[in-house]
Amino acid sequence: MSVTITTTINGQSVSASAEASTSLLEFLRDTLEMKGSKLCCNTGECGACTVIYNGKPINSCVTLAADASGAQITTIEGLADGEKLHPVQQAFIDTGAVQCGYCTPGYIMSVKALLDRTTKPTAADIEEAVSGNICRCTGYNKIVDAIQLAADRIAGRA
Amino acid sequence: MEYFEPKSIGDALSLLSKHSAEAKVIAGGTDVMVDIKFKEEPGALVNIKKIPSLSGVSESGGAIRIGALTTIREIETSSLIREKLPVLWEASHQFASLQVRNTATIGGNICRASPSGETLTPLLVLDAKAVMAFSDGERIEPFTSFFQGPGKSSVGAKGLLTEIEIPIPAAGSKGVYLKHAVRGAMDIAMVGVAVLLTPDAGKNNVQEVRIGLGAVAPTPIRAPKTEALLRGKPLTAALVKQAGALAASESSPISDQRSSAENRRWIVEALTRRGLEQTWKAATGKEVV
Repeated sequence: MSVTITTTINGQSVSASAEASTSLLEFLRDTLEMKGSKLCCNTGECGACTVIYNGKPINSCVTLAADASGAQITTIEGLADGEKLHPVQQAFIDTGAVQCGYCTPGYIMSVKALLDRTTKPTAADIEEAVSGNICRCTGYNKIVDAIQLAADRIAGRA
Repeated sequence: MEYFEPKSIGDALSLLSKHSAEAKVIAGGTDVMVDIKFKEEPGALVNIKKIPSLSGVSESGGAIRIGALTTIREIETSSLIREKLPVLWEASHQFASLQVRNTATIGGNICRASPSGETLTPLLVLDAKAVMAFSDGERIEPFTSFFQGPGKSSVGAKGLLTEIEIPIPAAGSKGVYLKHAVRGAMDIAMVGVAVLLTPDAGKNNVQEVRIGLGAVAPTPIRAPKTEALLRGKPLTAALVKQAGALAASESSPISDQRSSAENRRWIVEALTRRGLEQTWKAATGKEVV
């Protein structure tokens, strides 16, 4: 059975139909053709599909698309302002935190949610914020550097 | 697959009565969505997230009440939980990842009835109760009898867990939740042990102690023989050692991809000892000697 989902994605109102069993990730990628959020484990363990749902990072692969009705969703496509990258995106580039890049959109969404909460994250805050994201290229130190740099830039410290 | 979003407990119960054989309840979805994608779609999906008043943490009548739809993150960030039920806070804090905690609900973790469910051993040692709605009325049952096997609980196919009622532990009691897993975040516990200990007024003897063991039996369990051994006695190193071994014998673990049964028994022994030492020290200010 099909359901109509009316939601707000990256500030834009969207309405589309999908099978009731559709996950939010499938709705984004397959129904709306927004391929930035990545499909990887599809079990809520790797974080590649992370989006921000009413201000909170969630795994879109284990969220029912129908639950997006009436919610505010932010995806990786909503961060850059035209050609100007979001400070978190720019920091990932500047510190070399991107290797194969597949996990990067998920990381960036987790980090954006963290820096929306605080621009002075502690080491424990950073670790908690990305503990649900896996990078198989194992570039974790540079990712932590990127988070610190993004925080400093957003707070005007760098 | 049929799909429903009931707006009241009554509507949800009617749907479950009508479709019980093929219906599945979904809340946060972190477990159910995986079943849908990797196992099979149920005939009908009943999404209970739109039912108002099933969410939130409150205190009344000497108990903390948690709505079944309250997310693990809401529990983790509740000052009431942190202050009054630190053992549940610890389990929530160690629960999967931030993304999962933001969506997973305590009711889902309970109704999933997994032996390794993170919040379950804390609820057992806190003597918490499940408040359930059925078409013929409400039923309240302690979690000590609620779990019946992996995935099986008193809620069954036609009931709905609505609230968790947790009596505030006696003044002076201390609790701890210890999880053994390879990776800190995300991992399912190889073994989880919750201990809640209350010393007597002179802080010389164990007045009350409750021990919960997770992932080492078909359901999360209490260790009643170990608890009986400890009650009324001063907590010496020799007694702690004896208690660890007895707790291991009360468990009945299986071997799986996460651990062998033998290893699990060792971990039960070690975590029980550690839990007793830590709660004793926190409650009495004294080391176990």
